[in-house]
Amino acid sequence: MKTTEAIATATEDTKATPRSAGGWRRILSFRNISALYIFVAIFVLFSIITPKTFLSPGTWVLLLDEQTITVLAALAVLIPLNVAVFNLAIGAEVGFAVILVAVLQVNLQLPWPLAVVLALACGALIGTISGLIITRLKIDSFIATLGMSSLLTAGLVLMSGQRQVLGLGAGFRDFATGGIPLGGTFKLTWPFIIMIVVALVLWYVMEKTPLGRRMYAAGFNPDGARLSGVKVARLQIGSLVAGGIVAALAGTLLASRINAGDPTVGPNLLLPALTAVFLGSTQFKGGRFNVWGTVVSVYVLAVGVKGLQLLGATDWVENAFNGVALLGAVALSRWERTSKRTAAIKRATTFGRRARTELAEQQAAADPTSAPAELRKPDQE
Amino acid sequence: MAAANRPLLRITGMIKEFPGLRALDDVSLEVHSGEIVAVVGHNGSGKSTLVKILAGVYAKDAGEVEYPSSTAEEETGLHIIHQDLGLAMELNAIENLGIPKYQGLRESLAPAPVKREKAKATELISRFGEPFDVTVPVGSLAPAQRSIIGIARALDGWKHPRNILILDEPTEALHASEVRILFEAIKRLAADGAGIIFISHRLDEVLELADRIVVLRDGKKVADEDREHVDHERLVEFVTGVKAGEAETGRTDRTHGEVVLDIAGLWGEVLDGVDLTVHAGEVVGVAGVLGSGREALPAMVFGSELAAADEFNVAGAAYPKRDPAESIRRGMAFVPGDRGKYGAIRDFTARENITLPAMQNVTNAIFGVDARKEKAVATELVAKYDVRPPRPEQIFKQFSGGNQQKIVFAKWLRNDPTVLLLEEPTQGVDIGAKQALYEAIDAAAAQGAAVVVCSSEAKELVRLCDRVLVLRNGVVAAELSGEELTETRLVLEGYGLADGDDAVDGSEGQQ
Repeated sequence: MKTTEAIATATEDTKATPRSAGGWRRILSFRNISALYIFVAIFVLFSIITPKTFLSPGTWVLLLDEQTITVLAALAVLIPLNVAVFNLAIGAEVGFAVILVAVLQVNLQLPWPLAVVLALACGALIGTISGLIITRLKIDSFIATLGMSSLLTAGLVLMSGQRQVLGLGAGFRDFATGGIPLGGTFKLTWPFIIMIVVALVLWYVMEKTPLGRRMYAAGFNPDGARLSGVKVARLQIGSLVAGGIVAALAGTLLASRINAGDPTVGPNLLLPALTAVFLGSTQFKGGRFNVWGTVVSVYVLAVGVKGLQLLGATDWVENAFNGVALLGAVALSRWERTSKRTAAIKRATTFGRRARTELAEQQAAADPTSAPAELRKPDQE
Repeated sequence: MAAANRPLLRITGMIKEFPGLRALDDVSLEVHSGEIVAVVGHNGSGKSTLVKILAGVYAKDAGEVEYPSSTAEEETGLHIIHQDLGLAMELNAIENLGIPKYQGLRESLAPAPVKREKAKATELISRFGEPFDVTVPVGSLAPAQRSIIGIARALDGWKHPRNILILDEPTEALHASEVRILFEAIKRLAADGAGIIFISHRLDEVLELADRIVVLRDGKKVADEDREHVDHERLVEFVTGVKAGEAETGRTDRTHGEVVLDIAGLWGEVLDGVDLTVHAGEVVGVAGVLGSGREALPAMVFGSELAAADEFNVAGAAYPKRDPAESIRRGMAFVPGDRGKYGAIRDFTARENITLPAMQNVTNAIFGVDARKEKAVATELVAKYDVRPPRPEQIFKQFSGGNQQKIVFAKWLRNDPTVLLLEEPTQGVDIGAKQALYEAIDAAAAQGAAVVVCSSEAKELVRLCDRVLVLRNGVVAAELSGEELTETRLVLEGYGLADGDDAVDGSEGQQ
């Protein structure tokens, strides 16, 4: 208790210049928006190496659209993570929705809008069940969602029989490729627009409303938040429900894009989604998980991977790049934060010792009899 | 041996400062071989700082620690038994005693000599009386037996008996009968020539065990007396610094309104049927030693800890099923003892912390937080409660302890609570902030809040309260107000040392 106080006062002077003064420098600092700088670096690098392919509009149209599913999956992880709930079932949730929306249309012959609504409702139900397991049975979210992931994978295999579900409705198939043309090859696809809308809504809720404030509070300190009147368990369930709906939305759009219920596509999203969320937490908000950091991270990672692929790198490069980027970014921000703190601790703890050794040295210099003990011993005995 | 009449340990002029607080102020202390020295004092008197300096947790600012009788052949060791013994509850006594000290690959992988280990463990603990089963997990042993393992572990490395052993609040978790077992063990050690420092705030135990008593108050040594020169009345005088008869008494200047908080038969984990009635504008204190139920009461009233009550009324309305959110809605506020863990969100700014419990009045038409309104509220409150530095955008954990507590106060007092529950409101807070917090509590009462203050500091309760309930073993042992409400009475009642108490008479008979 007391040591932390000493450190707190030690850091106080060096830290926290008011936002107005060094505001812009802080906002534009590498620490705050490292992903954007990395993006610029990657962009310049690949523009020089492979200008033809990398700078072609087609590449960018494809990139924007391709990554919308990953962004949605990452946002589905982000919502519960804000209240300190891990969702490791995200890949299985997306995959389950991919198959479900296809099976409902093909096997049960339901009209596609109804199938979509049912798939989203099922996503909400999955979130509710996970939430109840975590809050009522008091099972750690890590384990609970790992179990849910296993169950959903089982359901997914059961429904699909490990085969693609083909023959989706025409309207459903066209949805993912449709959009608002911007002239030329540019087009804002519906999935991209939906993703932006979801991100905007989540940003508003998390950053601008009391609900979002309570979510952050519960995420940082559940006990403290509860004593301030935050209904933590309710928030945890609610965030998993919202996350489940977003995950199901991602699965539905994915099924529409690939025009099939493919049982293999969903589970692959777990790692990129988690990577983007953690990388995103190092951006903009200094350690808080946040929407735009997540969105930007997905695209920065995707651009890097795309550039390397254009250079001729093969399948392994995506995972390798994501891994390096995540570890690098998180280590960097952690190091920056702890180095300041470590320095403060060192100052607070070594000050007395240094003063004493200096004093001892001065005395030794002034008074030869108080020289080091080894030298004195003989004549004392 | 020349070393015999020199002390084992000599501390001279020890000083330790924390920001805004001198925790140890020129404290000197000597411990001789065969002597049991008790160090006594309130919370915050400097006892634990002293132990932590000897343990090397803190660096001292000035002063010397010497071992005058330490020689090359017979080096004086210093061992500390902390209140939390640091035993691994799932492991057995053999393992906790650290007997399997096998080094190198060959020894580590060879089958363990189970019989030899067991014999050695039994031998170690049988020095302190009846041996017990060393092969069961220590979690299933009695607390006193665990303490003995803790002591035996410290003693395992002793090559000679003349070492220092420091026991920091060793009896906290023990029953009276077990305390006796522990005391026997300690006396045996002293008889063998060890120097014992016994840290405690249980005055009756100190009087029973110690040869010499050192009293600390506000970081200063105020007494260093042989046991026979001290009786418990004098000891209380030393501890509180108030002479019996000329003490400050409780407050009588406040005007009370209607009954706001009315609880009958509150019981829970440590409470065993407590009645509590508080009027508007009244400040009621709750005193008692650790484990008396004092520390659990406010959380149970607020609803963050499970508790049942025969009757529970807030502002005239029954409130049978309690939870924090509903309590806040009904106008209750709770400042918990551990502000980092429960009182605030450490990673939030001061502004975010201040508005968290009641955000409905800083919102705009589109369900969002009105940033300008929120900032104005935070800025005003930070200034009102004199938070330093007055920056609402600073992260909570970067404030000093006293200013953190001011922020927690601001957060709750913003809503003009009808019931204000305070747990250790000035713990770890410097003098200046303490005064400011007292004034804030006075102001809240003046505005008509019903205030409950749970504190381990008798002085604080006398300063703040109209009336104090003293808890002992989960029930109200005494209720003091007006003339009767003095520091001395609070301490006496808290320890159960009031007139005619058996424990003390018994121990005095033994001496």
